[in-house]
Amino acid sequence: MMQGSILSMRDTLGKLLVELGEKDPDIIVMTADVGDSTRASKFKERFSDRYFNVGISEQDLVNFAAGLSAVGKKPVVVNFAMFLMRAWEQIRNSIARMNLNVKLVVTHSGYSDSGDGSSHQALEDIALMRTLPNFSVVIPADSADIRRGLPKILQHSGPVYYRVGREYSPQITENMDYEFEIGKSYVLREGSDITIIGAGVLLWDAMKAAEELEKKGISAAVINISSVKPIDEQTIEYYARKTGRIVTIEEHSIYGGVGSAVAEVVVKKYPVPMRFVGATTFGRSARSQRDLIDFYKVNYESVIKESLELMK
Amino acid sequence: MGIKGERDGIPISIDEINKLRIVASKARNNVIKMQFYDHSIHVGSSLSSIEILTTLIFKYIRDSQSKYDRDWLILSKGHAAPGLYAVLAEKGLIPEEELWKIQDISGLLQGHPEVFIPGIDMSTGSLGQGLSFGIGVATGIRMQGGKGRVYVIMGDGEQDEGEIWEAMTHAVTRKLDNLISFIEVNNYQLDDSTDAVKPKHFLPDVWKAVGWRTLFCDGHDFASIVDAIEEAHKIRAPVVIFAKTLRGKGFPVIENTKVQRASPDDARKYLINA
Repeated sequence: MMQGSILSMRDTLGKLLVELGEKDPDIIVMTADVGDSTRASKFKERFSDRYFNVGISEQDLVNFAAGLSAVGKKPVVVNFAMFLMRAWEQIRNSIARMNLNVKLVVTHSGYSDSGDGSSHQALEDIALMRTLPNFSVVIPADSADIRRGLPKILQHSGPVYYRVGREYSPQITENMDYEFEIGKSYVLREGSDITIIGAGVLLWDAMKAAEELEKKGISAAVINISSVKPIDEQTIEYYARKTGRIVTIEEHSIYGGVGSAVAEVVVKKYPVPMRFVGATTFGRSARSQRDLIDFYKVNYESVIKESLELMK
Repeated sequence: MGIKGERDGIPISIDEINKLRIVASKARNNVIKMQFYDHSIHVGSSLSSIEILTTLIFKYIRDSQSKYDRDWLILSKGHAAPGLYAVLAEKGLIPEEELWKIQDISGLLQGHPEVFIPGIDMSTGSLGQGLSFGIGVATGIRMQGGKGRVYVIMGDGEQDEGEIWEAMTHAVTRKLDNLISFIEVNNYQLDDSTDAVKPKHFLPDVWKAVGWRTLFCDGHDFASIVDAIEEAHKIRAPVVIFAKTLRGKGFPVIENTKVQRASPDDARKYLINA
């Protein structure tokens, strides 16, 4: 049922970090013993003196990066989303509080570590990270979006949480021509009856839902809100006014995540009815990420269902 | 070369010791005086650290325009901030009048160190985080070929934190010989004595076993502190100095107890006699 090619997000990440490391000798990549799984170890093959595996110690990883940043290096922490949250307090108290130039690049977000089950599936990290002052939170949609965005992220001065998946990455933005900018969202499809706002790999479901709704005579706009923080208030307000209804979809808890961030803007700028598609409980093991997305109904079918409810 | 100390081989003159003693005494009195203005500051932990902070700031910490050539001081036991502020005030980095506004909404000095305060290299306050940060700084300095050293001051209670273990083993892997850590052993943590909460007597063996060069000193004796630091500078490995201290040192009503602060009346009596 997938359309387009599927390029692994983590493979793209690993290759791109090496390319960016060629251009900037201050970039240092570090991980907590998941270098191969995250593809961070690609960096080691090229720049062994600028790559650190600190062992299975995420708290140390975060403050090690903070210290390197304090002397002017540009540390890129690459780790599983779930296990970096183990060091959330270190992220808050060292990186965010001192506003240090550390990039947290996480893989295995959402349901993407399908086989390992609920202990490895990060469905709460966006909520945790977007509460932190000074931090930006960015979620690329696919491999093309990583190529577009990661260089800008590393040029940005200040802490960023960059949330990448694993293998599953249906190409949504591959043939689209836009420049990534922190704080900007991107209209993937125009529409006038309802707006579907999402981030990450579930934008495929957002687009699929829009196509299905079109067959029912409903015109749905789709927005890639890749920058969850700072968030593009202007575009959200524009589409709230234009379409009068919003459905959000995210591979994350509906409590505190992308939908909540959009809702905070909507109630302030132009209140309209909203519906939220996302996780409401822990995940479980599955043979594929897609199985989990469908099992927990965090998919296009739910977006269609909620959209039709809002159209009543 | 000044006159050598009373004990042979101590690389500090009596003159120098006397100068440090005057600074420490003033800082000690000022920490106790700060209590008048805010009763909630951590007096006991601050007094425990005064001589170590005085020695580092007045004898060892080198300044430089370059982040890689200057020395870094990280107070991982951030609750001893009043002690650090009092010594920084003696150094002229913090105006003395700011000491009396500690923790006041209009003041500069926060309850725990923040990097926007002059002389503060890391915002701390949450225990266990300073050593990892110090490893990052020391690694960055080494990568750049800089001359800077990193001094990290921790408490004995702080050693309960898991991040310390993570950092302890990490520093050895990096072979950081520009990283010098102090662990103040005053035998108390927030709720009770360290023996009652979680014993710490095995710590020197643990640090040594994982590859740190482990030294000891009397954390209130300048000659002993200097001796340990001089020794540490010669060692080509990460060094930890276990410094025996007394919580509330020099303030008899709380000295060597788990009590962090006395009454303003007790403080007044002390200062009148000081």
